[in-house]
Amino acid sequence: MTADPFTMWHPVASEHDVPYRHVHHGQLLGRELAVWRADDDFVNVWENRCLHRGLRLSIGSNDGTELRCQYHGWRYANRSAGCTYIPAHPADAPARTICNRTFSSVERYGLVWSGESPVGDPPTVDVLEAGTPFGLRNLPVDASVELAVRHLQAHRFSPCGRLDAEAPEMTVDGVSDYSVALTARAGDARSTAVFFVQPVDSGRCVIRGVLADAPPAGEQLAVWRHHAIELDRLRVVIEAEAASLPAPEPMVPMLQQVPLHLAEVPDAPAGRQPALRVQVQRKWETAAGVAAFELAPIEGVLPTFQPGAHIDVHLPNGLVRQYSITNGPGESASYRLGVKLEPDSSGGSSCLHETVREGDVLAISEPRNNFPLRRDSNRTILVAGGIGITPLLAMAQALDRMSLPFELHCFAQSAEHVAFADVVDGLGGSVVRHLGLSPDETVAEIRRLVAGYESFANLYVCGPGPMLEAVRREASAAGWPDEAVHFEYFKNTNEIDNSSTFEVALARSAMTVTVPAGATILEVLRGHGVIMPSSCEQGACGTCVATVLEGEPDHQDVYLNDSEHRAGDRIMTCVSRAASDRLVLDL
Amino acid sequence: MIKLYDYVLSVNCYKQRLLLSILDVPYESIPVDFYPGWEHKSEAFKKINPLGHIPVIDDDGYILWDAHAILVYLAAKYDPSGQWYPSGDPERVGETASWMLFAEGTTNTASAARLCVNLEYDFDLEACQAGAHRLFRVLDEHLWFQERRGLDWVCSGAHPTIADLALFPDVILSEEGGISRMDYPALRRWTDRFRRIPGFVTMPGIFPASPG
Repeated sequence: MTADPFTMWHPVASEHDVPYRHVHHGQLLGRELAVWRADDDFVNVWENRCLHRGLRLSIGSNDGTELRCQYHGWRYANRSAGCTYIPAHPADAPARTICNRTFSSVERYGLVWSGESPVGDPPTVDVLEAGTPFGLRNLPVDASVELAVRHLQAHRFSPCGRLDAEAPEMTVDGVSDYSVALTARAGDARSTAVFFVQPVDSGRCVIRGVLADAPPAGEQLAVWRHHAIELDRLRVVIEAEAASLPAPEPMVPMLQQVPLHLAEVPDAPAGRQPALRVQVQRKWETAAGVAAFELAPIEGVLPTFQPGAHIDVHLPNGLVRQYSITNGPGESASYRLGVKLEPDSSGGSSCLHETVREGDVLAISEPRNNFPLRRDSNRTILVAGGIGITPLLAMAQALDRMSLPFELHCFAQSAEHVAFADVVDGLGGSVVRHLGLSPDETVAEIRRLVAGYESFANLYVCGPGPMLEAVRREASAAGWPDEAVHFEYFKNTNEIDNSSTFEVALARSAMTVTVPAGATILEVLRGHGVIMPSSCEQGACGTCVATVLEGEPDHQDVYLNDSEHRAGDRIMTCVSRAASDRLVLDL
Repeated sequence: MIKLYDYVLSVNCYKQRLLLSILDVPYESIPVDFYPGWEHKSEAFKKINPLGHIPVIDDDGYILWDAHAILVYLAAKYDPSGQWYPSGDPERVGETASWMLFAEGTTNTASAARLCVNLEYDFDLEACQAGAHRLFRVLDEHLWFQERRGLDWVCSGAHPTIADLALFPDVILSEEGGISRMDYPALRRWTDRFRRIPGFVTMPGIFPASPG
């Protein structure tokens, strides 16, 4: 019985086809593929179709970490194929569900193997396992796989060392639906070759030959040339027969339907649900009092992150804390976090520093980006206070990779307090360390570096509360509009006044609830079965935002800026309340 | 200053713009209404080139036509490195001439198919496409072996020549003529390398390559 080709592994490219910074154009079983190697050597096999407007990704550009579509510049991450940036929406973080279709990939015997829905592992071939596989030039043939496999069984070539042999003795060592193994002998010389046949379409295939043993370096060119000539001879025969037969109907690949959970209004989790389990692959001290963690997936691929994104980490002691992902673009094999030990830790940072060890399994949320980075600025200033460098480090690496100008200002007690100093040192652009400054000196330095606002400049700041306040104050005084100043607080240190009682009407759900003193909007809504996402639950991260249709919010968060507070059209439901008797929310 | 009688969508005019840009030679582009005006067939234009085709250059009174001939002239005169037309190296001159003749073939097949599809020329489209595939098979194999020898370009040596330049536009725009390059991976890699040459410029339908 013939095996189902859609559940099998097939070669889709040779290693010669996937050098760095290139996108190979391939096809398997009627489906076009874009195959590209990232700088970390992961080979991506993707549907050759940008899910935005359907342009071929094979004409996109591979910058080593991301593939950029040529049509509207959407960028997709190594491994996950998730969208990381949409130039037409520079202020927004793309939804994580915007993701191109990916296929499995494994490199073996100098070939890249993939498949529609391959089962198990790619095939192992004893003679190649035992030898030193040597890839021949691949040969595209305008004929079906069946025809190629049939003719390959009568293929002739001379063994290495005796390329001039007139009549080599040929034996067929094995045949399958998609491969033929042959041995050629002449005198003492013998060579075994395995020819894998890639089913491109019903009437097209690619023969990918692999010799079991590499010839000596000085003979390789002659061996490649010999096989190219012999295979070309074979192709003439195969294509002549194919041309005499009726052309088969081309295969029609199944385009993936939009999954139901994306086609419908999604169910957001009722509380803070850990979506993923990860393993602490590495833990090290990256700066004085700062532990770094590398979290790797236990299975599969981590979800796409964007610069500025954070995850919730569910700690063994039951606490939930938020940490920024510091990775550069395309560094998608693990998430790297930096955690500062807080002297007045209420159990979050101390648990990570003292309890969590390498090899431990942690539950985390999917990444969420409430601190997105614009990439259309003339000038980008990143201001990091201490451990506040973590989201800004991801931003700096993204800008650096795209050769966009930026300034990174690291404020720290001393050089030993700059986290991920190796990454900071590797950045292009302008990196300035401001070390050991007093609070007054810090303010003076901030005043100097935000002086002279120009249009299309953006300022990003993350650090301790007083420093953020200073940056926001000084930037405002220097003429920076609120929408050009982006900030992320570690935590909300405002004293929350939850003494009011008010009514909340939900416009879409046609429901009115009363929020009593002592309870939050978020808690009351959840109590009534309304599904709301949340993360920090203290008014710092922006996850539980709701749109205000009527009424006056009593803002108590530190996520929205002053203009946004004045506009009053959004509210952080975890801490903010109503100044009017009634709020109408778009929920 | 050099005057180039030019049409933005013409591959043969683009070859001149490419070389002038790479060699950093200033020139004045004189637009010719090739389509739909057929200005190159007008009596006025035939006084410049009696054959009635573009590109034509006027270098301070010296008039020359035929795309590949102009490339030879420009490289010989304006490339102080002597690499684009390696006149000091007889073997490489021979290779350059050979591949430029090959490029006449790609122009008459791949680029002719593009004229059928884009500008309503009455050629035998299927014959043009089949001819282009025959030539692309040869070129892809040649470039694959060049890579194995550590060579990036169609001729031997470390530097590209006007033969690469003569071939590049026919190849990179082939899909506009319905000629897929999926079966020619080495040819596709060569187009990446070509687009990274300092001074490279695009034309409509051609994107820059990712940084190398």
